[in-house]
Amino acid sequence: MFCVNCGNQIRDDQNFCVGCGSPVKRAPASPPVGAIPPATAPQPVTAPPPVTVPPRAAPTAYAAQAPEPAFQPSGGKCSWCGGVIARGQTSCPRCGAALAMPEEISKSGWAQLPGRKDMAKLQFGNSFCQIEGAYVPVADMKLAPEDSVYFTHHVLLWKDPQINIATMSMKGGWKRLFSGLPLIMTQAQGPGHIAFSKDDPGELIPVPLQAGEAIDVREHMFLVATGNVQYDFFNTGIWFTTQNGDDSETHYPIGMLMDRFSAPSAPGLLLLHAGGNIFVRELRAGEAILVKPKALVFKDPSVQMQLHFEHPDAGIFGMWGSWGGRYLWLLLYGPGRVAIQSVFEPVEGEGGRITNSSYATRQQW
Amino acid sequence: MTDAAPLERIQCQWCQSMNEKTATACRACGAPLDIRNLVSESGWREAPRIRDMTEIHFSASTCQVEGEIVPAAEINLGPGDSIFFEHHVMLWKDVNVPLSVLQLSGGLKRAFAGMPFIISVATGPGRIAFSRDATGELVVLPLHPGMELDVREHAFLLSSHQIGYSFIRVKGLTNILFGGQGMYMDRFVTTSTPGLLILHGYGNVFERRLAAGESIMVEPGAFLYKDSAVTMEVEFQKLSTGFFGGANMALAKMTGPGRIGIQSMYVHHRSE
Repeated sequence: MFCVNCGNQIRDDQNFCVGCGSPVKRAPASPPVGAIPPATAPQPVTAPPPVTVPPRAAPTAYAAQAPEPAFQPSGGKCSWCGGVIARGQTSCPRCGAALAMPEEISKSGWAQLPGRKDMAKLQFGNSFCQIEGAYVPVADMKLAPEDSVYFTHHVLLWKDPQINIATMSMKGGWKRLFSGLPLIMTQAQGPGHIAFSKDDPGELIPVPLQAGEAIDVREHMFLVATGNVQYDFFNTGIWFTTQNGDDSETHYPIGMLMDRFSAPSAPGLLLLHAGGNIFVRELRAGEAILVKPKALVFKDPSVQMQLHFEHPDAGIFGMWGSWGGRYLWLLLYGPGRVAIQSVFEPVEGEGGRITNSSYATRQQW
Repeated sequence: MTDAAPLERIQCQWCQSMNEKTATACRACGAPLDIRNLVSESGWREAPRIRDMTEIHFSASTCQVEGEIVPAAEINLGPGDSIFFEHHVMLWKDVNVPLSVLQLSGGLKRAFAGMPFIISVATGPGRIAFSRDATGELVVLPLHPGMELDVREHAFLLSSHQIGYSFIRVKGLTNILFGGQGMYMDRFVTTSTPGLLILHGYGNVFERRLAAGESIMVEPGAFLYKDSAVTMEVEFQKLSTGFFGGANMALAKMTGPGRIGIQSMYVHHRSE
């Protein structure tokens, strides 16, 4: 047996090469319990090509250190977005997910964003987007003359001089100004190159939207979308008020407004950026999960949400006013997809004296 | 695997646990067993980079480590098992996992992010997951009976219930680290039962074993953990800046015997 990295001879009982230290590759390990077999599409094909399978989470591992696959891709369907992958391609042309990575889902049902090789290339319309880098990935786009993208101005990293950018008019923009959200959306028209990034170590999440699909995204996650993706926002209806002396303050754990992106007539591409690692799961109808409010990245519009307070068995600590003796959660229930990020901020006012809130359930342990 | 003789075992170089010869990751700490230890010439060993989705076993429970930028620790608590943690590291949980609070004397004096310092307890059966607020890695430290470990405050992610918890005030570092607001160290002690302790280090984490009497100077903000036998004293270094007089710089002098762990990035979190 020889090392695939340096060619040194390796004895059967060695786990790594004495010449270069690379791990010895043996017969592939059996897939982890709970993983969805790669050949099984999570959703049935509901229409003849072009395939209109909605994106469903059955992603593969984030495999920055995974060994190069020595396998001939035979094509198939992307586990992340359902896109058709032609024979010989190693990654999904629509969302960039690598094909050959082992699919991994944690035993509790959370799946990771699919592994993506550096420089993975996505196609939308006649344009392309390359995703570069691993810590703070950059979306590097090559726009065709007829294609356009829009974004909030602070995520622009660089662009060709000939690319035209203009502000986009938005109905209801003044409402966003109130809540401190970015008011100005900027539009860039091809042809030419333009690139985007955000100032946080994390992951880029490509969300291809099929015609008729929509997704709800928590504020500040949006990076860039293609011109045919429609952008709207709605009141989250998730709030609580705290009282401190005569001062009453209203807090919005997931923001006052939430973004909704939809593709009304033609498919589009949406790119999000979130901090740390991203996990996705599909909730069955009526299935519930508690997540930290600021960890939410996106959800299907069919997923309902509300506040949930848990009061631990706290003894004397329950008397401590500023802690409130409780945990604040966002309760999500299915059916539909939910995505969370592993980096999140604490909720402002969480420790305050809560006097009122939107609909919430309580649990006293 | 079935006919493996007792001698055909591999010892994890990170936590000393014994594993089956065919194992690729340590059962007790998740360290990969099929790559060699990364030790620098000066003697610092990199904390093992835990592979995505690795499963760690403790008591009747398991922990799965997910992600490589800001890894999340997902615990599947067995019946009767419990873990304790600071409440702000919870990421998600099953609706039916009960929460309670560890009764600590002095916890009210020690405030964190405007709240009293409270250690929460989750009891099995059920699932609950944890993560921290910045790029880094999980340091999994299975504690064998009779171990005593001091950890930088707010650096521990979770600990199994077999481990005794207390905290001590570090007097010498008071003025240097947090502008006179005091600094505590968490102390974890095992008696007769082994337990699992998971820390989150910012950036990369390195460990070194100091011989008795051997010393190393460390930037105080980089300190992550030490065996309690290792002593820590702050020393001021006079930096000469020519015409403009001098500046003082504080370094922590750590003296063996025992392990010391440092992190390569130090975020000053919301400590009071």
